[in-house]
Amino acid sequence: MGSVDVTGVRHTLPDGRVLLDAVSFRIGDGARAALVGENGAGKTTLLRIISGDLTPEAGSISRAGGLGVMRQFIGSVRDETTVQRFLVDLAPPAVRAAWDAVENAELALMETDDEPTQLAYAAALGHWGDVGGYDVEVTWDTVTVAALGVPYDRCKYRELSTLSGGEQKRLALEWLLRGPDQVLLLDEPDNYLDVPGKRWLEERLRETRKTVLFVSHDRELLSRVADRVVTVEGGTTWVHGGDFAAYPAARIARHERLAEVRRRWEEEHERLVELVRTLQQQAKNSPDMASRYSAAQTRLARFEAAGAPPDRPPEQSVTMRLRGGRTGVRVLVAEQLELDGLMRPFDLEVDYGDRIAVLGSNGAGKSHFLRLLAGQEVAHRGGWRLGARVVPGFFAQTHAHPDWLDRTPVDLLWHGEPGRPGVDRGRAMATLRRYGLVVQGDQPFGSLSGGQQARFQVLLLELSGATLLLLDEPTDNLDVLSAESLEQALAAFDGTVIAVTHDRWFARTFDRFVVFGADGRVYESPEPVFDEARVQRAR
Amino acid sequence: MTRSRIPSPSPSVDDLRIDLAVDLAVDRLAEEFDDRAETQTVVDVVRTCRNDLSGVPATALPELVERLARHRLLVAVG
Repeated sequence: MGSVDVTGVRHTLPDGRVLLDAVSFRIGDGARAALVGENGAGKTTLLRIISGDLTPEAGSISRAGGLGVMRQFIGSVRDETTVQRFLVDLAPPAVRAAWDAVENAELALMETDDEPTQLAYAAALGHWGDVGGYDVEVTWDTVTVAALGVPYDRCKYRELSTLSGGEQKRLALEWLLRGPDQVLLLDEPDNYLDVPGKRWLEERLRETRKTVLFVSHDRELLSRVADRVVTVEGGTTWVHGGDFAAYPAARIARHERLAEVRRRWEEEHERLVELVRTLQQQAKNSPDMASRYSAAQTRLARFEAAGAPPDRPPEQSVTMRLRGGRTGVRVLVAEQLELDGLMRPFDLEVDYGDRIAVLGSNGAGKSHFLRLLAGQEVAHRGGWRLGARVVPGFFAQTHAHPDWLDRTPVDLLWHGEPGRPGVDRGRAMATLRRYGLVVQGDQPFGSLSGGQQARFQVLLLELSGATLLLLDEPTDNLDVLSAESLEQALAAFDGTVIAVTHDRWFARTFDRFVVFGADGRVYESPEPVFDEARVQRAR
Repeated sequence: MTRSRIPSPSPSVDDLRIDLAVDLAVDRLAEEFDDRAETQTVVDVVRTCRNDLSGVPATALPELVERLARHRLLVAVG
């Protein structure tokens, strides 16, 4: 049995802005609830409050069943954390504490071999057994075999940084789904997973009897898994009790209802204000009206004190204007192209206006292919060339721009770069406004959320005058509305688009599909192919 | 010192293994302290250690019993 009750939670940001207020909802036993909202709306903050990482300014959280948490950073661990430590940190608090006690007792025993130290070590081992530590280790063995294909004893000292993002995610998910915790909080569990991995996740989440609250931007996963949707918007939350298919209509209906209630309140307020004004005038001429005037004043004061009902939340306005321009008919020709060690030679012709989705499993060389077309150094054989007036614009998968981290979007726009002229602050802010980034204009790029960084990259593409868009997982960090906005912008783009994606929903908007197979073969498919096997590399 | 992480199949099998392991510990310690302690002393010390460590998981018990017994014998007879 597992459930979560969130009651009246309020959270204020360090700059004084109220991020969340009056947040109340319940996730009952066995529910699979999606937590959705714009980038920066407070989804991760809310998960951190529920998990106990943050203390809310007001309100309370109550839970039944142990809590397992998969934090957003899993998938991008690059420090010296080992597989063993990673699994320990995911375990319930009592197991973690018992493990740490055994570790400390072992260290003490290395220093001092006296009787009290030996007995302390024995007691720590006894406690490890009492909290179910030995059973946990058996489960860890099952987990590493399932996620990595090797027993726990053979990988426990391996650093997590040697695993791919998908493997890190898979390791955590295998544990959380098999472990004892009955309530799971999963912050973007599908990031870094290829399509077979996402399908595996969908199946496991659908069959688990645990209570799950998860954040995802993947519309396919949301529609297959969620049986209710918790939306963070307008500084609070509301719950749609149905699945994701019915969610857009439910959201529109809610917004219309809120707007209608607010409109009625404002009309009534206006009427009361007018009544008070009228009675005030009449009271000047007729003492008999004084009491009615006083009563109207009291009524107005009470009405205002009760406060206005919440208005319709402001719609996220992201307007992407990817213009492009006419190029030669033949945009790209690749002949017997082969990226060293990644795939077999292949031919490809891309024409003006094509919308090509590059599909395939992780490790097949898709991102290298895009980087090559973007003009970066990538070892290859065979030939390739771009057509007349083709200007490539590249959207990087991992937002790997270390030189941008301490610079602000306004600064980056001001200075420009080769192929993209700088713009003054006024134009920069106007453009940032269209991308919903005006508040972040003077914040360091490194402090922006993944979705905000992604939107900024699209903005740079807009300003670069690119006529060939090379997009590497552009929707990975975008919230649902931003992803739809990008799709609309790409539909209106006058040029050619080649996009690597694992986003099935997004991929279906394309009209050609180039598949990088697990066997090294590159082929074109009339339909999207999402079940290419994982590329096997020697461990 | 290492920890075995795999639990034994059943308490009875555990007990047999522990008894065998403890007997072996007695043999080793009796030989080690041959010139300093009577065999019966070694047996008594090992038994006492076995009782003192009764809460320890079965797989780790023999190693801890022998280690503790050796320490106590060293303290007692040098």
